[in-house]
Amino acid sequence: MGLLIITVLVRILEGMFVVGAIGSVVVIVLTGIEDLKMLLGWEEENHS
Amino acid sequence: MSSFPPTSPSNRVRIVVATSVMLTFISYWRAAAIVLNDLGSSAFYACGIAEQAVGKSAPWFIVAVMLFSFAVRAVYVESCSMFVRGGVYKVVKEALGGTLAKLSVSALMFDYILTGPISGVSAGQYFVGLINETFITADVHGWIPRAVHNIFHGTPHFNVNLTSVVFALAVTIYFWWENIKGIQESSEKALRVMQITTVMVVILLAWSALTLFKSGYQPVPLPTPQNLHFSKESLGFLRHSFPEQSLAKMFGLLGILIAFGHSVLAMSGEESLAQVNRELAHPKLKNLKRAAIVIAIYSFVFTGLTALLFIMLIPDPVRVSVYKDNLISGLAMYLWGPLLLRLIFRAFVVVVGFLILSGAVNTAIIGSNGVLNRVSEDGVLADWFRFPHRKYGTSSRIINMVVLLQILTILASRGDVYVLGEAYAFGVIWSFTFNSLSMLVLRFKYKGVRGWKVPPNVTIAGTEIPIGLLSVFLVLLSTALVNLATKSVATVAGVSFSAVFFVIFTVSEHANRKKHALAKEHVKDHFQLLQSDTVDRGSLGIRPGNVLVPVRDYNTLNHLRWVLEHTDTSEQDVVVMTARVSQFGTAAYGLSSEQVFSDYEQTLFTRAVSVAESVGKKVSLLVVPARDPWSAIAQTAHNLESSTVAAGLSSKMTSAEQAFALGSAWEAIPEPKKQFVLQIVQPEGIVDTFRIGPHTPTMKNEDVALLHRLWLNVTREPGLENVHHHDILTEALTRFARDYGAHDHADIVKELRRHGTESGPLPVRRIADQIHTVQPEPTRTDRDDGPHSPKE
Repeated sequence: MGLLIITVLVRILEGMFVVGAIGSVVVIVLTGIEDLKMLLGWEEENHS
Repeated sequence: MSSFPPTSPSNRVRIVVATSVMLTFISYWRAAAIVLNDLGSSAFYACGIAEQAVGKSAPWFIVAVMLFSFAVRAVYVESCSMFVRGGVYKVVKEALGGTLAKLSVSALMFDYILTGPISGVSAGQYFVGLINETFITADVHGWIPRAVHNIFHGTPHFNVNLTSVVFALAVTIYFWWENIKGIQESSEKALRVMQITTVMVVILLAWSALTLFKSGYQPVPLPTPQNLHFSKESLGFLRHSFPEQSLAKMFGLLGILIAFGHSVLAMSGEESLAQVNRELAHPKLKNLKRAAIVIAIYSFVFTGLTALLFIMLIPDPVRVSVYKDNLISGLAMYLWGPLLLRLIFRAFVVVVGFLILSGAVNTAIIGSNGVLNRVSEDGVLADWFRFPHRKYGTSSRIINMVVLLQILTILASRGDVYVLGEAYAFGVIWSFTFNSLSMLVLRFKYKGVRGWKVPPNVTIAGTEIPIGLLSVFLVLLSTALVNLATKSVATVAGVSFSAVFFVIFTVSEHANRKKHALAKEHVKDHFQLLQSDTVDRGSLGIRPGNVLVPVRDYNTLNHLRWVLEHTDTSEQDVVVMTARVSQFGTAAYGLSSEQVFSDYEQTLFTRAVSVAESVGKKVSLLVVPARDPWSAIAQTAHNLESSTVAAGLSSKMTSAEQAFALGSAWEAIPEPKKQFVLQIVQPEGIVDTFRIGPHTPTMKNEDVALLHRLWLNVTREPGLENVHHHDILTEALTRFARDYGAHDHADIVKELRRHGTESGPLPVRRIADQIHTVQPEPTRTDRDDGPHSPKE
């Protein structure tokens, strides 16, 4: 029972990490493109 | 304060409280340099700590952390672009409430306080490593005298950890004293350190590339669960629950997460980006993004790539056993080339390490001081801590407490970088986590305009889902939670430290609430606080050409008395101003009156008003928050169109040095600007007067005589009878400017330096003696009669 709870908790943590890591890669790619545009002078401000 | 009788509201003394800090702005390169001084320093120890914890594949995790830091920096850019008043503490307070704000600031304090010891000890490890290696090399060549050999019973060597402790203590105590005296955070110094570091990084990478080509390399094991070899310490509390080494195999991904958690300190220092944001020049957001790009790329190249090179080039038998705490030195020793050249480069690495790591010790003290000042302003820490040092005016009690905690940490670590690094990661990860959680909450709480948002954001049924922000938060939270279980030292130390600070903050807040209510009532009775975002004559109701009197210590207000006795206040207004120095890391905009006008300012102005009352003259009162008091004085004099600034003599500077400091601050004000006079009133009533800004210099008699002789000779030339003295000066200065900017630059500088130190007869006198009047003087006209200073 104890191992089952630990396994579930660990899987939740792993899930958070994987989902977060995939999303972070998207953040890095999108901000990278934005940075590149800024450096090349094609920038459109991401205002909201 | 007690000298005031009860006052009716109409008779209360008006005090204008400026609510925006007077800053001197810096370029994004300088901002990036300040952040990299902190962030770049982790390259010196992060990989060594990670490898001891997870094995040879550690560099891949360092690279992953450095890539992830690109995403973390995006969160900080959004946080800075929101302009939420009050820094990280205020951000968390706005989003999550006071309790979590106190917890987050406790974690941040743990991060800042640990930065000093880990940097100091690491610098010591590099330093001692070099000395011991030099002894070994010298011994091999038979250069060590027998007597020295006998003293050490063999090759001379120093105990690495013990000497590192002594080294770290010396550096910490040195910067403690510098901070007590109130050194200014210099972006110039940070930029120089980063320039030198860049030279080292370029040589290191180029030389490493050559070594890879010439000598080959060993591969870095891929970051798979099979390649993870956790040490007993790196499993923390889990080592009692699972058989050693099998954990990663039981939960494959968990192993990756644990290894990532052990590498996270590689991005420590990222939070400094938020601290320098407010100092960035216009356009702020664009410059913030530029600085963030520079920081991210630089740290990725320096920390990430060198981590891979450590494993590729330093042989396994010596990497952990000999160089684990000074891996860049180890890399220098295993580059391709002659030993002497490698030793010289290693010495250069140690010098750079000393500069950048010592800088991080200083940043840690300044940062801790700033954060505690900030929470103290909010009433979360007793005002007692903020009481200015009697001589230097710094928040010495906070500095003493911070440095004492750092010294205790250094002693407790016994020079073990691994232990310090493990503990340090706690503060790093939890302050990031709290910040990203707050930003996430603020997305839903404040839907107003933001300068920039972390992408991507998807709108579903009218609700914007911050996918990017949520993703970064999930990685940080999962890492922070895993670290709680696997970093037992960090968890015990971090939780204990944070708990102690949390209790101090909570008790202080409770005690302050009652005290501040009484104080507020008192201020309400006697002072009328008028908030103003900027300082101008309108808010104070004064005329141009006024006298600005900066005050700081309520025991030394003689200069105010002198000014009032010598000024007709019906003709010329007198403004008494105090600069409330906000430390690095404190809030910059939208400060409340209570944050700027504390107990101390209350006492100071009560005394100033008493002086004015005793002379029977009226004064206007002004409190200005500032990073640098000189900039604040210059900027205020400029904004108020003051004709004179009358200051007291500083306890740590001469009047000439004070004038130079104020002049330098004046130079930083953008045009158009007006000159003013600075009067330094000494305790005995002697007044030194200086002109701030371009002005006619005071000419020596010899210079005037030389000018006159030249004029006499020139006017005897045909067609030059109408030349004036100032024409001679114009020609001389034009020629000087031309020579100074060209081939004679070095000679002129050399000559001027000599004049500055020479006590004998001035060269101008010698030149004057060589210029003779060749003809009888022409008939004088009233245009130029005898030697005199030229007109402007």
